[in-house]
Amino acid sequence: MRTLINIELYKIFKRPRTYIAFAAITALIVMIQFGLKVDGKTYVDFMLNDLGSTLQIEGNILNGYLVCYVMLQLLLVHVPLLIALIAADMISGEANMGTLRVLLSKPYSRTQFMLAKFIASTIYTLLLLVWLAFLALFVSMWVFGTDDMFLMKSSYVVLLKENDVFWRYIGAFGFAALAMTTVAALGFFLSVFAENSIGPIVATMSVIIFFTILSTMNIPIFNLVKPYLFTTHMIGWKEFFDIQVTDANEAIVGSIQYPERIINSSIVLLIHIILFVAAAIVVFKKKDVLS
Amino acid sequence: MLFMEMQEIIQVKGLTKSFKNLTAVNDLSFSVREGDVYGFLGQNGAGKSTTIRMLLTLIEPTAGSIDLFGLSLNSYRTEILRQVGAVIEKPDVYKYLSAIDNLQLFARLSGLKPTHLQLMQQLEMVGLASRAKDIVKTFSQGMKQRLGIAVALIHNPKLIILDEPTNGLDPQGIADIRNLIRHLSKDLNKTILVSSHLLNEIEQIATRVLIIDKGKKLVEGSAAELFDPAQTLIELETLDNESAFNKLVQSNWKQALQPRRASTILIKLHRDHIPNLHRDLVALDIPVLSLQPRHSLEDFFLQVTSGQYANTH
Repeated sequence: MRTLINIELYKIFKRPRTYIAFAAITALIVMIQFGLKVDGKTYVDFMLNDLGSTLQIEGNILNGYLVCYVMLQLLLVHVPLLIALIAADMISGEANMGTLRVLLSKPYSRTQFMLAKFIASTIYTLLLLVWLAFLALFVSMWVFGTDDMFLMKSSYVVLLKENDVFWRYIGAFGFAALAMTTVAALGFFLSVFAENSIGPIVATMSVIIFFTILSTMNIPIFNLVKPYLFTTHMIGWKEFFDIQVTDANEAIVGSIQYPERIINSSIVLLIHIILFVAAAIVVFKKKDVLS
Repeated sequence: MLFMEMQEIIQVKGLTKSFKNLTAVNDLSFSVREGDVYGFLGQNGAGKSTTIRMLLTLIEPTAGSIDLFGLSLNSYRTEILRQVGAVIEKPDVYKYLSAIDNLQLFARLSGLKPTHLQLMQQLEMVGLASRAKDIVKTFSQGMKQRLGIAVALIHNPKLIILDEPTNGLDPQGIADIRNLIRHLSKDLNKTILVSSHLLNEIEQIATRVLIIDKGKKLVEGSAAELFDPAQTLIELETLDNESAFNKLVQSNWKQALQPRRASTILIKLHRDHIPNLHRDLVALDIPVLSLQPRHSLEDFFLQVTSGQYANTH
C-alpha cells in the first residue's frame, strides 16, 4: 500500500499541472500582500468606516493575522478549483491516458488502488494548504508584523489578543484541510465516471457552486437541506475566530464562542468524505475498464 | 504461492460477456499451453480485446471460467497477475515521464527495485536505450509500442499477453515486434498470447492459433494445420488478365486456377511451387504486374464459414 501511495505521489508531482495550483496561490497571495502593503491604510479606513467615532482603535490593525484572515476569506472559495484539477483527474486522467488498464492488471486489488489514489490526492491537498498557510500566515506575519487581531463581523466586532491568535489559525487550517479533503473526495468520486479529466473537474466545481448558492440563499425551503450540504459546513473555520465573553462583556482568552458548531461541521464533512470515497470504491470495483 | 508445473497456462471455459444488447464474447473455450506463441485472430470487433481484458480482470465475465497457471483467476487474482505481463491495444505509459522513469515506476508497481543497469538492459532489449531519458511524449508510435512491451516484461512474467502489438506500426516496426516475440519465445521460454487481425503476422510467429468471429470460436489448432502451405492462394495481376487467364487454362496450371475474377487471377498451389509458377509465367510471355500470396483473414473466414475449410481439413 505504501508503495502504491508513493507511486501516486510521484506521478502527481511529476505533472506540470500540479504546480499550477501552487503558482496560482503564490501569485494571488503576493498580489494581495503587495496591495495591502502599498495601500493598506485605505483598506483599513474603509473597514472601520461604519464604526466612525464610536470606537477608537490604536495599534497595528493591518497586521499579519488580519491579512491572513482576509486572504483565507478570499482564497478558500477558489482553492476547491485547484484541488479539483488533481483530485477529479485521479481516475479519469488514467483512463484517458490508457494507463488505467496497465495499473489494474497489476497484482493489487482495486480497493487498494482507490485508497492509494485518494490518500495521494489528500496529501496533495494538505500540501497545498501548508503552502497557503506558509504564504498567507507566516509571510504576512513577517511582512506586516503581529498585534492584536481586530475583526469586523456582521453585527459585532471581535478583538483577539495577540497571544490568543496563532492557535486559532492552527485550528482554522486544520478545519480547512477537512473541508478541502471533502472537495477532493467529491472530485475523486466523480472521476470514476468519466474517461477524460474535464468532465469531472467541471462537475466538481458545478456541484460546489450549486450547493454554495443553496447554502447562502435565505429561502425557507432551502433551509431544510442546508444542514446536510457540505458547502454549508465548509466555512466552519471562521468559528475559530469567535470568542466567548463574560457577563461583563470581557473576552475569555483561549475560548471559542460555538465549539459545538465546529464539531458538528467536522462530523458532517467527515461523513461526506467517507461516503464519497466508499461510493467511488464500490462503483469502481464493479466497473468494466473499457477505456 | 508456488505454481505447479502446468502444461496449460491458460484455460478458458464457456467464457461469455454481454453488454446490454451485445454479446461480445459468446461461450468461448480455449487453452494455451506452456511455451506456446498463441495467435488470437479475429477481425476488428470480433471480441479479442474483450477476451483479453477478461483474462486481465479488467472486465468481469457474464459467464464462464478462466484458469491461469492452473488456478482460478477469480480466487487467485493477485498471485496470478504477478506472473502476467500485458500490452493492451495500445502502449499505455505516462507521456510526461521519460522511458526509464516509466520503466522504474512499473517495476516498483510489481514490487521490484531494479538497478539503473537492469533498467537500461531492458530498454536495450527493445532498442530504446539511447532514448532512455527522453520524455515519452516525443516518441513515435513504434517506440511507444516497444516501451509498452518493455514495461510488460520488466517483472519477468511467465505469460505475456500482447493485444494487437503491431497496430499503427510501419513495416520495420512490425518486423521488430515479430523478432522480439520470437526472441521471447525461443530464448526466454515465455508463453505468449498475441492477438491480431492480420493473418500473415500471426502465421509467421504462432505455434497455435484460435480464430474467433462475433465472439465465437471458429477454429483452433496448430498453425501448421491451419495455414496449410498446400492451400496457398496466389493473387496474380497482369497487363491483360483475360489473355493471361486463357494462356494459363491451356497450361499445366489449369487445375490450380480458381474461378475467374475481373481484376485478378487466383491460383491455389503449394507454397513450394511458387518459383515454378513464376518461371512458367515468363515462359508463357505473360506480362506480370504483381504476384503475391494472399493472406486475407476475410478470405480465411469465408473459407471457414462456407465449409470449404471443413472439406479440406
